[in-house]
Formats: sequence, C-alpha cells, structure tokens
Amino acid sequence: MTAGQVLPHDWFPRSLPPNVVVGARSWVFSAHAFLHCRSQRPCAVRIGQDTGIYHGTHFELGPEGEVEIGRWCTLVGAVICTNGRIVIGDCTFVAHEVVLADTAFAHPPDKPAEPAIGSSIEIGENAWIGARAVLLGGTRVGEGAVVGAGAVVDGEVPPYATVAGNPAKIVRTGG
Amino acid sequence: MTAEPFDVRTVTGAWDYATLPPNVQLARGCWIERPQSFERFRSTRAPGVRLDEGVRVYGWTVFNVEPGGSVLVGAGSVLVGAVFMCQERITLGRAVTVSYQVTIADSDFHPRDPRDRRRDAIASAPEGDPRERPPVESRPVEIGDNAWIGIGAIVLKGVHIGAGARIGAGAVVARDVAAGAHVTGNPATVVDPGEGE
Repeated sequence: MTAGQVLPHDWFPRSLPPNVVVGARSWVFSAHAFLHCRSQRPCAVRIGQDTGIYHGTHFELGPEGEVEIGRWCTLVGAVICTNGRIVIGDCTFVAHEVVLADTAFAHPPDKPAEPAIGSSIEIGENAWIGARAVLLGGTRVGEGAVVGAGAVVDGEVPPYATVAGNPAKIVRTGG
Repeated sequence: MTAEPFDVRTVTGAWDYATLPPNVQLARGCWIERPQSFERFRSTRAPGVRLDEGVRVYGWTVFNVEPGGSVLVGAGSVLVGAVFMCQERITLGRAVTVSYQVTIADSDFHPRDPRDRRRDAIASAPEGDPRERPPVESRPVEIGDNAWIGIGAIVLKGVHIGAGARIGAGAVVARDVAAGAHVTGNPATVVDPGEGE
C-alpha cells in the first residue's frame, strides 16, 4: 500500500491521502478512515509494517496533526483525533470503540486553523488498550501497560502497569 | 449482478436534505454528513428534529426519536457522535459541543418495575404485540448554551445541564449540573463548581 493509492478492496471511491504512508504487509480497511484527515503535514499518518487498521478506525486530524503507528499493531476501530502528535509503539493492541483524542471533534474544513499543541498522546510498545477506553491529551502509556475497558486516562500509565476505571487508577503494577 | 456505484455525497454532507421527513426542520447553514443519522427517526411531532442555524452533524450522530419525541438543537452547535434516544424532548442551547460516542436519553425506555418489565420483554419479542408494552417514564433533558459534553459521556433522563458546563469524558450524568461547573466520573461528581454563567 502506498500513498495516494486506491485500495484494491475499498468500497469508498477515494484514494489514500498523499501524506499517508503504509508499511509493508500492513492492511488499511478503507480510505474512509481518512475522511476527516485535514492534516497539511508532509507525513500525516505513518503506519509501520505488518500492522492492521480495521473497520471503524478514523484519523481525525487538524492541519498540524500527525500520527505514527508502529509495527505489528492491531487497531480494530479507534477514533484518533488530534491537531498535535499521537504515537503508538510496536506490537500494541487497540480494541473496539477506543478514542484517543486531545480535542472534542475533528477540525472542520471551513474554520480557521488552531495552533498545534505539540506532543499529545504516546503509547509505548507492547501496550494493550481495552474496549471503549478514552485516552485524553497528555496521556503517556508506558511499555507493556494495560488500559482496562472503559477506562478514562489523562495522565501517566507506568510501564507494565494495569489501569482501570474513570478516572483511571492503577490496579496492578509490574505486569 | 452489478453493484451500484457508491455515491460519495452520501457520506460527505452533500446529499439532498429535502429527502428528510418534513418534520425535520433545518435552518440555514446546517451540515449533516450522512442521511443514516435519521434511519431510526420516527417522530410524528412537528418538529421532530429542529436544527438552528449552522449546526454541524457528523456521521456518528443518530437521532433515535420515538413518535412523540422532539430534539431541538441551538445555533452553532457541533454534534460529533451524539446518540439521541428521545421519547419526549431533548433541548440543546446554542454552541453546544457533543463529542464522540455520547448518549443523551430522556427515558430509560423500559419499566424499572420487574413485573412491568417482564410484560415489556414479552411484548417486545420479534413476534410480540408492541401495543401491549406498558407505558415508560420520560423526563426532558435540557443542555444550556456553550456546554461541552466530553467523549463517551452519558446524559440520562430529566437532567438539566447549565450554560457553559463541562461534562468530562466517560461521565455518567444522572443529576443536574450547574452552569459553568465541571463534572467527571461515574456517577458524575463536581471537580470544579465554576462561577456560573
């Protein structure tokens, strides 16, 4: 899959945006994932090799938005909304109906641009984000950590910790 | 068998809004991304839905409006993923923001009493008689101007949210929220009472 390509399996009659890079052997379900991707950055979304981006995943990027997803990741329907930078490390699972967002909605095309907000959300390698979890701006999820289903996170999750609840609390440390 | 060519206008807000039922009233400058937002609209009220000037409705928004329901949305509001479950009336003020995966319901849609609920279950079966369903309670929801409903929040029946209030991500709101207040959690509790508005 390369930038600007029409996906051979796609129901949505548009090509991938030119500033989206998809690694070898990775899968993107549809160019519909980029319907609200208004990023003007040279590389808006970079998806590493051997990563699956499945049905219902949406990249909701403002003009300064950037997303970097590592290798061997699985995203099964997350909303990723930023005008800053969101990074997901290698070998991370992101479950159904997860929202990673630092703003309440995607930047509409007819509104003046807002300033970028710098680094926004970082998820380390080998993490696992449970269904319906919400990760807000400023969240750092450490390597190997687990975010429980439905948790609402807006701070640090230490490496190999498990957090759950709203607001999320550490329920286990050290994996 | 040939597949119909997919019409991209049906997912980009460029479709013909005149195909909506006549009791969906749109002021100037409204934008509705997908007609599917009205698939479960069955209100017979006038209006069943009214969107004031410049309201933006993203594709995740769903108007589940029962026959007696009305959803009224003030000018300049942004509905990203608002799932309205409306039996009677849900009112949003001006410039309200509703983020992803939010549910706003003015009824529980089933009786709380277990015996009534058993009757409701039987009447609601695929081949049941929906006329046998017991009545359900509804209490209108009101959300004030400039309020902000965060990701995944749930707003339940009878709740009044004051102007400028902020509902945090994942909050479950079953009681009134004062103007300007910030609430989070399940059940939602006040983290900042604000100074009103």
